[in-house]
Amino acid sequence: MELSDANLQTLTEYLKKTLDPDPAIRRPAEKFLESVEGSQNYPLLLLTLLEKSQENVIKVCASVTFKNYIKRNWRIVEDEPNKICESDRIAIKANIVPLMLSSPEQIQKQLSDAISIIGREDFPQKWPDLLTEMVNRFQSGDFHVINGVLRTAHSLFKRYRHEFKSNELWTEIKLVLDAFALPLTNLFKATIELCSTHANDASALKVLFSSLILIAKLFYSLNFQDLPEFFEDNMETWMTNFHSLLTLDNKLLQTDDEEEAGLLELLKSQICDNAALYAQKYDEEFQPYLPRFVTAIWNLLVTTGQEVKYDLLVSNAIQFLASVCERPHYKHLFEDQNTLTSICEKVIVPNMEFRAADEEAFEDNSEEYIRRDLEGSDIDTRRRAACDLVRGLCKFFEGPVTGIFSGYVNSMLQEYAKNPSVNWKHKDAAIYLVTSLASKAQTQKHGITQANELVNLTEFFVNHIQPDLKSATVNEFPVLKADGIKYIMIFRNQVPKEQLLVSIPLLINHLQAESIVVHTYAAHALERLFTMRGTNNTTLITAAEMAPFVEVLLTNLFKALTLPGSSENEYIMKAIMRSFSLLQESIIPYIPSVITQLTQKLLAVSKNPSKPHFNHYMFESICLSIRITCKANPEAVGSFEEALFLVFTEILQNDVQEFIPYVFQVMSLLLEMHKNEIPSSYMALFPHLLQPVLWERTGNIPPLVRLLQAFLERGASTIASAAADKIPGLLGVFQKLIASKANDHQGFYLLNSIIEHMPPESVDQYRKQIFILLFQRLQNSKTTKFIKSFLVFINLYCIRYGALALQEIFDSIQPKMFGMVLEKIIIPEIQKVSGQVEKKICAVGITKILTECPPMMDTEYTKLWYVIPLLQALIGLFELPEDDTIPDEEHFIDIEDTPGYQTAFSQLAFAGKKEHDPVGQMVNNPRIHLAQSLHKLSTACPGRVLSMLSTSLNAEALQYLQGYLQAASVSLL
Amino acid sequence: ALRMQRVEVSIELRKAKKDEQILKRRNVSLHVKDENVPPGQNSTHKIIQLSLEEIVEGVNANSPKLQLLATQATRRMLSRQKDPPISQIVQLGIIPRMVEFLGRADNAALQFEAAWALTNIASGTSEHTRAVVDGGAIPALISLLSSPHMHISEQSVWALGNLAGDGPLYRDALISHDVIPPLLALVSPVTPVGFLRNITWTLSNLCRNKNPYPPLDAVQKILPVLVCLVQHEDKEIVTDCCWALSYLTDSCNDRIQIVVDTGVLPRLVELMASMNLIVMTPALRAVGNVVTGTDQQTQAAINAGVLAVLPRLLRHTKPEIQKEAAWTLSNIAAGPSQQIQQLITCGLLPPLVELLDKGDFKAQKEGVWVVANITTGGTVDQVVELVRSGVLKPLLNLLSAKDSKTILIILDIVSNLFLAAEKLGETEKLCLLLEELNGLEKIENLQNHENSLVYRAALNIIEKYFSGEENSDLEPQTGQDGLYDFSVEKQEFDF
Repeated sequence: MELSDANLQTLTEYLKKTLDPDPAIRRPAEKFLESVEGSQNYPLLLLTLLEKSQENVIKVCASVTFKNYIKRNWRIVEDEPNKICESDRIAIKANIVPLMLSSPEQIQKQLSDAISIIGREDFPQKWPDLLTEMVNRFQSGDFHVINGVLRTAHSLFKRYRHEFKSNELWTEIKLVLDAFALPLTNLFKATIELCSTHANDASALKVLFSSLILIAKLFYSLNFQDLPEFFEDNMETWMTNFHSLLTLDNKLLQTDDEEEAGLLELLKSQICDNAALYAQKYDEEFQPYLPRFVTAIWNLLVTTGQEVKYDLLVSNAIQFLASVCERPHYKHLFEDQNTLTSICEKVIVPNMEFRAADEEAFEDNSEEYIRRDLEGSDIDTRRRAACDLVRGLCKFFEGPVTGIFSGYVNSMLQEYAKNPSVNWKHKDAAIYLVTSLASKAQTQKHGITQANELVNLTEFFVNHIQPDLKSATVNEFPVLKADGIKYIMIFRNQVPKEQLLVSIPLLINHLQAESIVVHTYAAHALERLFTMRGTNNTTLITAAEMAPFVEVLLTNLFKALTLPGSSENEYIMKAIMRSFSLLQESIIPYIPSVITQLTQKLLAVSKNPSKPHFNHYMFESICLSIRITCKANPEAVGSFEEALFLVFTEILQNDVQEFIPYVFQVMSLLLEMHKNEIPSSYMALFPHLLQPVLWERTGNIPPLVRLLQAFLERGASTIASAAADKIPGLLGVFQKLIASKANDHQGFYLLNSIIEHMPPESVDQYRKQIFILLFQRLQNSKTTKFIKSFLVFINLYCIRYGALALQEIFDSIQPKMFGMVLEKIIIPEIQKVSGQVEKKICAVGITKILTECPPMMDTEYTKLWYVIPLLQALIGLFELPEDDTIPDEEHFIDIEDTPGYQTAFSQLAFAGKKEHDPVGQMVNNPRIHLAQSLHKLSTACPGRVLSMLSTSLNAEALQYLQGYLQAASVSLL
Repeated sequence: ALRMQRVEVSIELRKAKKDEQILKRRNVSLHVKDENVPPGQNSTHKIIQLSLEEIVEGVNANSPKLQLLATQATRRMLSRQKDPPISQIVQLGIIPRMVEFLGRADNAALQFEAAWALTNIASGTSEHTRAVVDGGAIPALISLLSSPHMHISEQSVWALGNLAGDGPLYRDALISHDVIPPLLALVSPVTPVGFLRNITWTLSNLCRNKNPYPPLDAVQKILPVLVCLVQHEDKEIVTDCCWALSYLTDSCNDRIQIVVDTGVLPRLVELMASMNLIVMTPALRAVGNVVTGTDQQTQAAINAGVLAVLPRLLRHTKPEIQKEAAWTLSNIAAGPSQQIQQLITCGLLPPLVELLDKGDFKAQKEGVWVVANITTGGTVDQVVELVRSGVLKPLLNLLSAKDSKTILIILDIVSNLFLAAEKLGETEKLCLLLEELNGLEKIENLQNHENSLVYRAALNIIEKYFSGEENSDLEPQTGQDGLYDFSVEKQEFDF
């Protein structure tokens, strides 16, 4: 491609077409440009166009096309052809910087990006004069040009902020520092001088401040990896100027916009970042300057207004102070009573004030308000920053700070008392202040876990919180109501129980408040109170204490779901769940109405499920209704099925994916409630449960396995007789699960149920296949989890089919397989098995292998007695410390508590399956069982057992075995 | 885990270390009355001010008196407190003449003044030092070591120290001119402390610098004397001995072994515990260097009691000491599990956690390495112990550090912890713990980090421990009935 006018013309036309909204015109043009971009001179034609075209739109289009071209082609990939010819590369590098600098801003940005892409590849080796070329422009005095250079430099150097230290990188940085640091410093000084000469020229100031922001950013990049010698030597210049910029104000730079940060704010924010970088990484060298910055930053805070545009600056600045005041060697900066007072008065208190923006959020965007206020997603807010500063100061000055704030709290409360309807915000700030002062550590689960002992929380509660909540008008001063409720909630572990009991009816009353925040907080507070632990791991607040309030509690909770804005309020639904769980059988009289309301809600939300937590707690509540009712009256299961199946069918038919896992769990719960043979209504569903499409969704797997297990428990013989053709499909599900490391344990759950419940003849023909499959996983990708499940399974198999059958099937797959599995898997891995039932199954299974498998006595497998004693491994399994049994924690469960990240939202705690012990009836004490089995074996072949034991077991194991034999009152012959 | 030698990159952005030992020293204002006499004030001792031209003239004159006067004037100029005119003096071309004066055994005063002047010239830049060497000063100064006049041999010791301090080239030139035997001969029980200080300092410069290391036989000759001097009660002598030992141990394992074999480690550890910063600094460096060596060498340092001293140093107020101590600990933690056990038993975990929580950033970085090494080389029990000590909270906080490498190492540590948790079957528990400590949130955010190694490491952890994984070869096909087919190919098994 020649650099000819004709070519420029053609290119112009195609570029124009790429802007056409009609794809039929646009696409071919794009294709064409791509097809010619490999030609020599193509990039130079683009550069010519973006400089000289008559039409601005073509200029911009050419610059964007050029940048994308560079992005795609500049890098030379090893073993691939160079996509840009060398002479073009040279020409581009020679021209691009002046071109960028002389272009209007829109094009300048594109070219600046292109330069940094080229720079990433070529700088510094293949572009040695770039730096000098850039630095020379600093003297131009033209700040449009200078800003272009600075922007380019910023995009070239910002990678120093994240790359690893290496010789190559540091060599480059050193080179940059040598060429750039001094001119940058001079430019910095000159720019600051110009700012004072042009202090009255708004448009000049804007340009100059844009430069200062870029310079401050460059400072950050160049100082990131380590403290360069140059900047250490010139710290005085930089820090002095940064410091004075922090204190600078100029009316001309103030913006009217309340939301968007202006140049002044951006610059000061960056300076705060720079100071924070030095304070974090170069504390030793920065120490002399730090006090000045502390002062400047708090002065900055004192003088900065309440507008939203200052939020980031203010919160950065406060966080800077918070991080500094915690360090022992800066303690003295804050020690002085006047300093502390002024920080408290001028920095903390003003930033805790409830602002117009907060009020707006409280009313119109309550969801966001709650998330920030309750769940701590308030990291960048002023209140949070102020709160962190209080905590930081309390580390060394708890007494004085508490003292200072007590005065403020009192005077703010007095202000409020004078005229509540005008001064309510004073009380809000007072409560917030008390809260942040008193709370030293907090978790979602327990509220405040560590409190400031100098604050009398109960007294404040009784005198200032309760009166508000006792007021007859629930809708008055909603913000103060919300504050009061939140106070109860977070200080629930500090306030005595009798006060909490007094509060409960007040909270129930506030479930009726119109304000979303207020009734949500009330529901949340109740829910949290109900999860508090008393003695003996029971709830602090008992069902008996709640008895007078059951009806009003349930009524108000369900009514709250009808308030505007709260129809899918997860806090309310969670409170419903927790109330059911706490109240237990006292809810039974209300169940008919409750279940009607819940099914209606379910039907409504299943049209468009959007609140996962709400939905989850709704299903938990349904499960609780079923469990509590059927525990007292098992027959009631039918009426639940009647109420729920209609909605469930609809959910399954409409494939409401979010709800299907829940439906399966509720169905499992219901099916398990049946005492007799499986109802035919369930059997009709069986083939559908094996559909692959269901199993492809990970969230379905645990509940579906659970449901199939319930089918197998209640209806194995029905399946064997009426649905034998579905058995391969059932095993196919097992195979699908076993192929996954994440789900293999689920496959074993299913397999164990099949082995335990299906009539043996119905699975005979598949047994060998099952083992081959398991061995294959074992060979190719075993994990600890897989091995543990595998061990439990083969022992369960051994118990169900006999030890000889196990040996025979193993050896039929491959000769000597049985010995290999025992030697390589069972003996070395058996101690990994955890869980009481699991251990018991393994113990009984191994006992059977030892005592009921003839080949163990008279083939080469006798080595499992002598050489690598299986018995010793079994004794080891017995004598390992038992896992702690898990107490009944169900009531306290939270979504966050349920293990497994994939199924985090689908596992219903209250649909919980009871632990099942398949050997429960056969063997009570596995140690006694071992002793008896050995005794039986020794009777059959007298003398042999004793001699085998004495030659193979170590002394310790022998001693344990003696103990078992004694306990069983048997001896070996 | 790998032990890390002292230098990672040869490029430095920082200023040269301020607490390093001084390479070259000028002999300034020894005789106060010579100097700083305000102009116009009458002094009993007449000061003769000569111009540079007069100096050249005087030095080249035949009269010993003029020679002495000129040399003295030169020495005086070079000894003034501020801005000595070293370059100008060098340009006068009088150095060979000064060297010649060193040989005037009949004129002790002249010898002394010349040695002093040359000392101060050699204390300048490398170029200045070179001028002295090129002037032939080495053999002349060495022979002056045996001068009957103590002040002359002391001045030569000083001058030679400056030459040796310039770098390996002149250091080895001195050694090949056999500087060591006469130098060591000066050390005796009656040598005055001031003189001994000079000797020790010069010896330390003869041990200094790498590329190449000082010749082995020279080291072997010097070491016994250093081991002896390090027991001295004078702090400066002890300090310079420690510096010398720190240079000798900043080296390959064979060289470290030679130092360990002298049995000096217990003394170094004792000095590490000194309250005096100038003594503690080089002693800590030397011991820190020893534990970069083999497991046995590290064990020798442990046996000498290093683990009992480190807790205090990890809590030292000076960042540089914290950092060196943490670096030392990181290399001990890079050893076999028995050494890690000793580290735990000696109570190093609590100060480590404290350091990670509120130490200086440089020290925190080294602290992260300690943790990394324990999780790489430690047993599962030791890793559990580490987690119990509360290391996770400050460690995960450092995921917000402004340093990509540190972040990456912490992510490696997290992976190592998961390996241990897998062995214990407690992966789930670790997942929850990381979440509780805000680690999960931080790791999730790091998936957007600009550094590709960092984001890949973060992604890897999230994918591996916070989501599932399949075995596609075992996946069943779908059969004609639309359900999964249950079938598998048999293969040979060998577990």
